[in-house]
Amino acid sequence: MEQLITTSSPHIHSGASSRRIMLDVIIALLPASVAAVVIFGMKALAVLAVCVVSAVAAEALFDLLAHKPQTVGDCSAVVTGLLLGLNLSTNVPLWQCAVGSVFAIIVVKCLFGGLGHNFANPAIAGRVFMLLAFSAVAGGAMPAGAELVTGATPLELLPAGVSDQLPSLWEMFIGLCGGAVGETCALALLLGYVYLVVRKVIKWYVPAIFIGTVFVCCFIASGDVVLALYEVLAGGLFLGAIFMATDYVTTPINAQGRMLFALGCGLITFIIRWFCRYPEGVSFSILIMNILSPYLEKWTARKPLGG
Amino acid sequence: MKKKVSRLKVPHNKHTAGCASVPVTPPPEVVLPLSMHSGAPAEPVVQVGDYVRVGQLIGKEGGEISSPVYATISGTVSAIEPVKLNTGRTVTAVRIQGDGKMEKDPDIKVPEVHDLDSFLAAVQRSGIVGLGGAAFPLWKKLDAVRTNPVHTVLINGAECEPYITSDHRLMLEHADQIAKGVEYLRTYLKAEEFIIGVENNKPDAIAHLEETFKDDPSVKVMAMDSVYPQGARQILLYNATGKVVQPGQRLASLGVIVINITSLAKMAQYLTDGMPLVDRCVTVDGSAVAKPGNYVAPVGTTVGYLIEQAGGFSEPAGKVLLGGPMMGRTTTTLSEPIVKATGAVLAFNQKDSAQMEPTACIHCGRCVENCPIGLNPTAFARDLEIEDEAEKVAALDRHNIKLCMECGCCSYVCPAHRPLVQNNREGLALSKKAARAKKEGGK
Repeated sequence: MEQLITTSSPHIHSGASSRRIMLDVIIALLPASVAAVVIFGMKALAVLAVCVVSAVAAEALFDLLAHKPQTVGDCSAVVTGLLLGLNLSTNVPLWQCAVGSVFAIIVVKCLFGGLGHNFANPAIAGRVFMLLAFSAVAGGAMPAGAELVTGATPLELLPAGVSDQLPSLWEMFIGLCGGAVGETCALALLLGYVYLVVRKVIKWYVPAIFIGTVFVCCFIASGDVVLALYEVLAGGLFLGAIFMATDYVTTPINAQGRMLFALGCGLITFIIRWFCRYPEGVSFSILIMNILSPYLEKWTARKPLGG
Repeated sequence: MKKKVSRLKVPHNKHTAGCASVPVTPPPEVVLPLSMHSGAPAEPVVQVGDYVRVGQLIGKEGGEISSPVYATISGTVSAIEPVKLNTGRTVTAVRIQGDGKMEKDPDIKVPEVHDLDSFLAAVQRSGIVGLGGAAFPLWKKLDAVRTNPVHTVLINGAECEPYITSDHRLMLEHADQIAKGVEYLRTYLKAEEFIIGVENNKPDAIAHLEETFKDDPSVKVMAMDSVYPQGARQILLYNATGKVVQPGQRLASLGVIVINITSLAKMAQYLTDGMPLVDRCVTVDGSAVAKPGNYVAPVGTTVGYLIEQAGGFSEPAGKVLLGGPMMGRTTTTLSEPIVKATGAVLAFNQKDSAQMEPTACIHCGRCVENCPIGLNPTAFARDLEIEDEAEKVAALDRHNIKLCMECGCCSYVCPAHRPLVQNNREGLALSKKAARAKKEGGK
């Protein structure tokens, strides 16, 4: 008889893996990526490709130089690159896209110890870094085939109220408006949302609470349902709420904490957009809540059975 | 609507549910550890060379909490020696070379029971311990009735571990003994309410028990959700009665006792025919077993013999374990004996025994979501990295490490394949050690 294997219980496993989760996120981002290319043309593809390739290359190189086990196989760098790319507009020079990706991977993730140890969402932090370093990241670019090549995004127009300059709500829903390549098509993002919920990768309530909070606040503040709908569809709210506010690493680990996280994101987004008239509400709200995440987790810890 | 605890669905793999229990051919040898219960080990009362018969006392109780051990086959005591068990403990064991006759001890007689004292004394002599795995001496558990009147008896027939069907078979084949056991507890413990909790993946057992107790309104057969670990004491208690044992509290103080269904039936059997606990039904299954089934085997039968009885290995085994796949323990050797509380012997092929490499925790929260108690396994993992021992233990205790029952849900769902249960075990051991040191220091 050959040697029997001795291990600790349990001896069966659900079969879940981190890599599979990352692949699911990538699959969920495909509709938005396709929509980006359809709406903004091949330039969008170039943005996405540069971001993904530079993110993966940065992680591979970091692991190599730091003599760490190669971790690109977990696909998390692909997710970061893709998310960052979808958060940028076609107006951003490709070299800036690459710099942003490298910053997201190296500074935000790898230097903190790699996957699972970063305190902020790498894609969000990368985007905010680019915003501060290169100014415009989302604004300006118009859908391919539009009469204007550059112009104001709906989010920039909204403070003036609902006007003729705005695209229709339907155009907003399917993404025919200016903005970052992956944020405009709410329809494609919702497809990804449904996929992630069905695959049990994310909880349905996090995006719902985030988006719902922004909607309710805007409605209360303006008394105008149409304006509130525009606010919800404009900018990176769907992309951020579905794909970034649900990032495991940088949000609380428990359900109650995640609900509070989503609520906080919604409130901060509203405050930044409404009172500061500043279009970057979603990124900053998630980043701020990322920092609060450990506290939310502590405050909302469940009382154990018999404890 | 009370909140739901325990929601993890694991594949049942109850392949052997339809396999009626069959006795094994008497094994040529048994190894009887004198410590197969919680508490003090039994003390040997036989010597090498003695001829022993089935049901003869070979180890008497070694302390206040202990359990007697009986010869499970007839034959000659060939050794009394230390044996290393798969629990990691080395215990004294009595080895008996069988003569194949299975001759019964002529001194066996039906115990005389007429009041609580004689009832508890009989249960004590029966050698029955918690047969679901806890192995706590049954009489000691029932003894609590002296200080806390028992109102409700919760009979645990959940059998939530995948693969295992020995309790299931018992419910189908020996419902009469369960009914007798209920009568004994009603008579001597003065219990008024009986709840038999059975997972709803055993509809035939539920129907059969309902039929058995249809004229007895005090017995309620409760179909429980088939979620792991439904059969864990605290979980079953909560799901069946809504009650929770608070820290430092004893279950009996709630007026409830929880008793494994096989323990109850074995108790009834002893009180009827006087044969103490010498054998039990064991589910033998797993991808490397040729003929999975339910086998009634003498306690002390080796794992190897039992697998042989089940047709041997169908392919090379990677892991062989005693107990279910969620909480069972692997063994290094096929000469490992089954003990009183062993409900299953599983052998998995190489493929099913493959280990997955742990990767970084991605903080996904699945362990937290699926912990039936509501603990945070990632917190324990962090606590264990604290260097200062006192701080480490304080952090573990603050996160309620003591409530962990090592059920395995966290490890089962972890997508990063982290060794969460091992972490918890390490934490539990440290916490217990610190508590012991404190207690001794205080004296």
